[in-house]
Formats: sequence, C-alpha cells, structure tokens
Amino acid sequence: MDLLTLSRFQFGMTAFYHFLFVPLTLGLAFMIAIIKTIYLKNKDKRYDDLAMFLMKLFAINFAVGVATGLTMEFEFGTNWFQYSKFVGDIFGAPLAIEGLMAFFLESTFIGLFLFGKDRVSDKMHTFAAWMVALGSTLSALWILIANSWMQTPAGYKIVESPQGVKAVLTDFFEAVINHSTAIRFLHCVDAGYIVGGFFVMGVMAYYLLKGKHVEIAKVGLKFALVFTAVVSTIQIVFGDIHGYQVTHTQPLKMAMMEGKWETEKGASLDLFGVIDQEKQETKVLLEIPYLLSILSYHDPNAEFKGIKDLVKEYKEYAEKAEKQIPVLEAKLKELEKNNAPQEEIEKVKAQLAQAKAEAKAYNISFEDLPSVSLVFTTFHLMVYLGFFFAFVTIWGLWLLKRGKLYTSKAFLWTVLLSIPLPFIATNFGWIAAEVGRQPWLVQGVLLTKDGVSFHPTSNVLFSVIFFLVIYTAIYIVFFYAMIKAIKKGPQSSNSENIPPSTNPAQVTAFSKTKENL
Amino acid sequence: MPTEIFTTLEGLWFLLAGVFLVGYALTDGFDLGTGILTIFTNKDENRRILYNAVAPVWDGNEVWLIAGGGMLFAAFPVVYAASFSGFYLAILIVLWALIGRAVAFEYRNKKESPLWRKTWDWIYWIGNFVPAFLFGVAVGNAVVGVPIDQQGVYHGSFFTLLRPAPLLMGVVAVFMFLMHGTAYLLRKTEGEVFQLAKKAAYIGFFGYIGSLIVTDFLLVITAPYLYSNYFEYPLFWIAPAMIVIGLILFFKFLSSEKYEKVIYGSTLTTIGTVLTIAFATYPVLMRSTINPEYNLTIWNSASSHITLTVMLVVTVLLMPIVIFYTAYVYRVFKGKVSAEGGYH
Ligand code: HDD
Ligand code: HEM
Ligand code: HEM
Repeated sequence: MDLLTLSRFQFGMTAFYHFLFVPLTLGLAFMIAIIKTIYLKNKDKRYDDLAMFLMKLFAINFAVGVATGLTMEFEFGTNWFQYSKFVGDIFGAPLAIEGLMAFFLESTFIGLFLFGKDRVSDKMHTFAAWMVALGSTLSALWILIANSWMQTPAGYKIVESPQGVKAVLTDFFEAVINHSTAIRFLHCVDAGYIVGGFFVMGVMAYYLLKGKHVEIAKVGLKFALVFTAVVSTIQIVFGDIHGYQVTHTQPLKMAMMEGKWETEKGASLDLFGVIDQEKQETKVLLEIPYLLSILSYHDPNAEFKGIKDLVKEYKEYAEKAEKQIPVLEAKLKELEKNNAPQEEIEKVKAQLAQAKAEAKAYNISFEDLPSVSLVFTTFHLMVYLGFFFAFVTIWGLWLLKRGKLYTSKAFLWTVLLSIPLPFIATNFGWIAAEVGRQPWLVQGVLLTKDGVSFHPTSNVLFSVIFFLVIYTAIYIVFFYAMIKAIKKGPQSSNSENIPPSTNPAQVTAFSKTKENL
Repeated sequence: MPTEIFTTLEGLWFLLAGVFLVGYALTDGFDLGTGILTIFTNKDENRRILYNAVAPVWDGNEVWLIAGGGMLFAAFPVVYAASFSGFYLAILIVLWALIGRAVAFEYRNKKESPLWRKTWDWIYWIGNFVPAFLFGVAVGNAVVGVPIDQQGVYHGSFFTLLRPAPLLMGVVAVFMFLMHGTAYLLRKTEGEVFQLAKKAAYIGFFGYIGSLIVTDFLLVITAPYLYSNYFEYPLFWIAPAMIVIGLILFFKFLSSEKYEKVIYGSTLTTIGTVLTIAFATYPVLMRSTINPEYNLTIWNSASSHITLTVMLVVTVLLMPIVIFYTAYVYRVFKGKVSAEGGYH
C-alpha cells in the first residue's frame, strides 16, 4: 500500500474509533445533567441513584473518548503535513478554541463531577454535570466548525508564501459559520443524543427483563424513552435539511450518496440499488419517482446533476482556471511595471493564486472518485436506521400510554438489541460525509493527495499496525469494564445518607465516594 | 529585552506559546512527576495513593497540552506541521504513552487481580516517564536544530533525534518533573508515600542540577548559538536566575522540613527552565541544520495578522475564566488523599 492510502486509512480508522465514544459522551452527559436537575427539583432518590449509576458508565466511556481524541489532535500534523501548512491559518483556530473553550471546561468539571459528590453541595454537583455537558457540546461545535470549513470553505483567500501556497483567513465569522456548520452541528449533536438515549433505554430494558433494579429501571426507561422519541423524530427533519444543504454545496457528494451517474429531470429516489463503478451505472431495485428532485430542489421536475456531468463540469472549470493564469500573470507584470497601488497588485496576486489552486484542485477524473458504493450504502443505511429509531420510540410511547411499556417483552428486547445501531448510524453518516467529500480534502481547494506528509511509508505502516493493536486491546478492556459495571447495576444509596463534607481537609472524604461511584 | 516581543503580534504569540508550555509543565508536571514514582513502591495501597493524588485533576492538566498543540497549529502552523510530521515516531510514541496513561486511570481498579493491576501500573509508569523524557528531547531537537529544508520538510530519521544534547535535555526534563511531582506529594500525602516523596525530592533536586550542568557544557560546545541572546539582551538573565532561586528555595524548604512550601521552589524552577530555553532560542522556533535561512522563526512561520488577532482576543478572554475554575476545583480537592476512592 502506498503512503496516501495508508495515511487515509489511519486517519479514517482513528476518527471512526474516536467517534464510537464521543456520541455516547454527548448523549449521556446531557441526560445525566437533566436527571440530576430533576432530582434537585423532586428529591426522589431514584433519580439520584440513576444519575450516579450512569455517571459510572459515563466515566468508563469518557476515558477512551479522551485517549482517542488526543490522537486526532496530533494526526493533522503528523500525517497531513502539507494540509496543516496549507490550512493552518484557518483550521488551527477552531481547534485551539475547542481546547480553550471546551476541553478545559469538560475535563476540569469531570473531576469535580466524578470525585466531588461528597465535597460539594447537590447544587454544585448538578452544576458540574451541566458544565460537562456544555463542554462536550462546545467541543462538538468547534470541531464541527473545523470540519464544516473543509466541506464548504468560506471567508478565506489563497496566497503564496515562502513555504508554499496556503489559504489565509479574510473573515473569521464567515469561515466559522460557512454554509454547513449550523446544520451539521445540530444533526451531529442530535445523533449523539440518539446514541445516548438508546443506550440508556437498552440498559434499563435489560434490568426489566432480568427483574433486577426494577424501580430505577422503570424511571430510567420512561425518561430515556421520552427523550429519545423527541430527538429521533427531530433527526429526520435535520437530516432532510442537511441533505438539501449538501445538494447545493457539494453536488458531487450528493450524486454519489444517491448513486446517480446520469443527470435526470424529475429524479427518482432510489431506495435500493447495486452500484457498478466500472460500468458507471446503478442497478436500481426499488425507487420512488420524483422524490429526489422534490427533496433536493423542492420541485418535482428539477434537474438533478449526475456524477458523469459533474466530473466533466469540474474538468472544464479547471481548464478555464488554467487559461486564466497567463492572463493574470501578464496583468500582474503590467501593474508592477506601472507602479500601480499596492492594493491593486495584491488583489491580482490573490486572483492568480486562486486560479492556480483551482486549476489544480478541479483537475479530476473518474479514477479520483472514491468508492461510490461505499458512500451510497452507508448513507442509505443511516437514513433507514433513522426511520427505524423514530418508529421504535413511537411504538414505545404507544406502549407507555397503554401502560404496557415495562412488560412488553418484544419492546424490551428490541431496544436492548438496538444499542449498537445508533453507533453504526453515526459512523456510517460520517463515512458518507468524509468519503463522499473525496477527492478533496478541502472541497474544491485542496486535493487529498496534495495534503499528505512526506515520510517513509514504513513509518505509517508501523503506526497503522500499532494503532490497530492498541485500539483493539482498549476496546476489549472497555467492553469488559462496561459489561461488568452494567451487570453490577445501580447502587442504592438509601441506607447510608452521608452529609456532604464541609471540611476540605478531611482525610477520609475521599473514601466515601467509594460507595457512590 | 527585544521590544518587539511586546509590540508585535508575532512576539506576543511567542510569549503566549511560553505561557502554554509553562501551564503544561506546571500542571501536568504533577501527574508526570507522581506517575514516575509508581513503580518505586510495591504496595498496592501506596500506588493507589499516587493515582488518587492526581485522579480528579489529571485530565484538565492534560488539556494544557491539547490546547497548546492547537495554539501552535493556529499561530505557527508551519512549525506545527514541520515538527509533528518530522518527529513522527517520537510524537506517536508520546501519544501512545499518554493514551495508556488515560486508560490506566480508569481501568486499573476494575479488577482485583494483582497481574491486572501490575500490568496497568507499568502502562501508567510508561505513560508518565516516556512523555516526560520525550518532551525534553523534542524541545531539545527543535532548539538545537534538525535537518529541515525551506519548505519545512524534515530530512532526517528517528535516530537523528537521538543526539547527546537533546537526549540530555530529556533527562533534565525528567528530573524537573520529578521535583515538581514530589513537591506536590509532600502537600498531598502522609505516611509511606510521603517518605518516598521526600527521598525522591532529593533525587530530583540533585539529578536536575547534575544533568543541567552536563547539558550546559555540551551545549556550549555543540550549540554556542543558543547563548548569543544572553549576551545581547541582559534582561534575559531573569530566566536562569529563576532556576537558581527556585532551586535554593526548594532545598531550603525541604531541608528545614517546611514541606508545604517546597512547591514554590519547584514551580519557580520549572518556569525558569521553560523560559531559559525560550529566551535562548528566540526568535527561532525550529532551527534548520541544513541552512540557517531555513530556520522557522516567529516571523516566517506565523499565521496572518487576522488569525493572530482573533486568537489573541479569544485567549485573553477565555484564559482567566479557565484559570478561575481550575483553581476552584483544585481548592475543592485540597487536603491529603487516601488509598480509598478514586476510579473504580
Ligand atoms: C444516529 C445517527 C444518525 C441518524 C439517525 C441520521 N443521521 Fe445523518 N448523519 C449522522 C448521523 C445520523 C452523522 C453524525 O454521522 C453525520 C456525519 C456528518 C454529519 O454532519 O453528521 C450524518 C450525515 C448526514 C448527511 C451528510 C452530511 C455531509 O455530507 O456532511 C446527510 C445528507 C444526512 N446525514 C441525512 C440524514 C437523513 C436524511 C436522515 C434520516 C433520518 C439521517 N441523516 C439520520
Ligand atoms: C468523528 C467522526 C469522523 C469520522 C468517522 C471520520 C471518518 C473519516 C474517514 C473514513 C476518512 C477517510 C476518507 C477517505 O480517505 O476516503 C476521513 C478522512 C479525513 N477526515 Fe474525517 N471523520 C470524522 C470527523 C472528522 C472531523 C471532525 C474532521 C476535521 C476536523 C475530519 C477530517 C478529516 C481529514 C483531515 C481526513 C483525511 C483526508 C481524507 O482522506 O479525506 N474528520 N475521515
Ligand atoms: C465530529 C467529530 C468530533 C466530535 C463531535 C468530537 C467531540 C469530542 C468530545 C465530546 C470529546 C470529549 C471526550 C469524549 O468524547 O469522550 C472529545 C475528546 C477529544 N477530541 Fe473529539 N470530537 C470529534 C472529532 C475530533 C477530531 C477530528 C479531533 C482532532 C482535532 C478531536 C480532538 C479531541 C481531543 C484532543 C479530545 C480529548 C479532550 C480531553 O482531554 O478532554 N476530536 N471530542
């Protein structure tokens, strides 16, 4: 395997792995904070026990989230040297702000939250839970700003510097908001809530099926069900908006997600299909006429551009930019000779750098396309799972209304077995988004192959293997600890009511957390 | 002192980079230093105390590294890219070690078995010792110089990094963290662990002085350019002076049994060490051994003024808030720790 493939594999794998833990953090943190708040209001011990139990599971998950996040932060520099140099001016800022605004908050209050229950008041402890939730959400916000800028770059210009061509910031807010940040953030955080919701529902269903911890499990299941019903229904709306956005900002990605090779007027939505990349065609097994045009353009007869036409268009665009280069160069010489004002010279210089970058970035062919089948399949599975989640929760609400929620074996088994599905949906969504962005690293600006580091392939081969080994080992340990903690179940604290310690120097204060953890 | 440090955005960012390094060394120094001690006691109870001493705060401490990395990326992207890709294997080894450390905290106490715990204790030890050492080696390489070309592309191998001077700087770093970590333990522990910390504090102290002197001699010979700033700007001597004062305080408080105060000495020494290196290398961030013209300086590797300004505003607004709540959480956990509690 070559350097580029290995680097892409490593990045994709480590991001995928990080995102097995992140959504659960997002979801659980938010749910725990709400449950703690309910407890503050009604003083019903069951809520506190539930929150403390979920906190234990949260801690097991969080440790791996943190450990794998570190990898991500380092990897831009280690594996994407040219990329980091090219976009550092813009892309570095959200990463740095994420650290300052989110990680400090989250990581500092997690300490208070996990170990401080007996050292601070209930109110302060609940506040800490909210700060952890806020921190994880802000972390998602800033990393998604960075990612959205790669999908739909804005607020920048291209310049030439002594160390090579690069993108520099012209408008911070435009870069931050760009065209996809808002919806990507909503969709992605909501995905985390679905993951958390199904996780809690599944664990509670397990206790009900086993007849253990029944009182707490009922409270937990009801709460998680209502929560998940709301977030999974909203997700369909967010998904629709997200799809609309992609059609307009990254049409090639959308064409791949829908498996459309040819441009169609009044395009149908293909529900099932088999893609043949060689022959450049999709064998459609089931379709809904006109629906794709309606979803993408809100007009049944609108034209939906296919992959073939798009690639041709981009190529023509590259040629046009190529032709611009000598024209602009001549203009620049002219201006410099006539001692034109510096401002004007700078403007032409920027145009020239932009033309050069575009001539390179848009010069793509069919060989540069990623596996369309992968994009198509992962995207479709995510959408089907989205409808499945909404369906399951509505079923649950219906059972709740009829008073059969806690006894319906079919429902309890369904949610228990569904625990992995939201994880799959979120990561499939990301594969569709990231693989679908190919061949670009920064849409329309930088090709993935122009972003990689220069080092011996053996280095990356070694690190890929090492990552595979330690990540597998960590996953096994994680799984073991999680199952063990779930089997042990919530600890009821009714028997020992420890008053919160007010003396900070109290030696034994720490030991009391033992029972509550 | 060169006035441009205070009057230009690039100069201010040089200072801020220093602030992040100091912030990391001072806070995660507790973890690294205490972690290095874990394998020097065999009792499970003592080891648990060592873990518990930092358990509530280690993650926040580590964020100084993450935020610092982000800052480097935002303010000096070329340096971020050149160093992280150039030092590829070294960086990944640090990363893997830190991953091990993070996971060890949470999973060590999940099972009673001695084999399970011993394995995690070793992972934890590596997770503290290796980063402490390699951070020193990495900084040493950046300031002494590495083969990078005009584009910032690194032309050496992993072994290029293992030259005597940078390696020695790694040793200095280990002893520095040991001093700081033990100073923290002298406040946080009692009994056997306290006695261990006392012994280790002396080892850290003499080890630091010894390795620093050897490193200094070696650098005078192999990298004399690191001393030129000190002739040009006499005010820079503040930094080495801080090291000396810090060492004196450290020893004085330690030998007169004022254990609560030893930490002032290690704090001053740590700040002094970071600043001494920063002032020595200014304005170069990563030196090229191929051609001095390829040096990555704060002038040729910084981001645009828009980015530097935005980031400056953000940092100045957020930093005090971060310091405020961090201080609050440290206060909540004030006092001696025991072997009970902690992660389960
Ligand atoms: C529980 C998880 C989950 C569920 C049920 C859905 N999604 Fe999703 N989706 C994600 C989790 C996700 C994600 C977090 O993985 C992604 C990856 C990038 C992003 O912004 O969110 C994503 C991306 C993503 C994209 C690509 C955005 C891009 O290219 O950047 C589209 C068009 C949709 N989604 C549309 C939908 C639709 C129409 C759904 C119908 C129900 C849906 N999603 C359900
Ligand atoms: C956490 C969820 C994410 C997952 C599961 C994910 C997945 C992937 C995958 C599978 C690839 C490989 C694509 C290919 O080479 O064909 C990739 C590439 C990449 N992604 Fe992501 N990604 C995630 C989030 C992000 C975020 C938030 C960013 C930026 C802030 C990002 C930046 C990149 C970069 C720089 C590459 C490497 C170049 C490339 O191959 O495109 N990713 N990601
Ligand atoms: C959509 C993609 C991502 C989201 C929503 C996200 C969100 C989060 C969240 C919520 C955490 C807290 C810990 C946990 O989750 O268990 C976290 C940890 C972390 N993430 Fe990600 N992340 C994403 C991708 C990335 C990428 C691409 C990077 C690289 C810059 C990154 C860097 C980190 C770091 C350094 C940590 C550890 C922070 C700590 O010590 O608290 N993440 N991330």
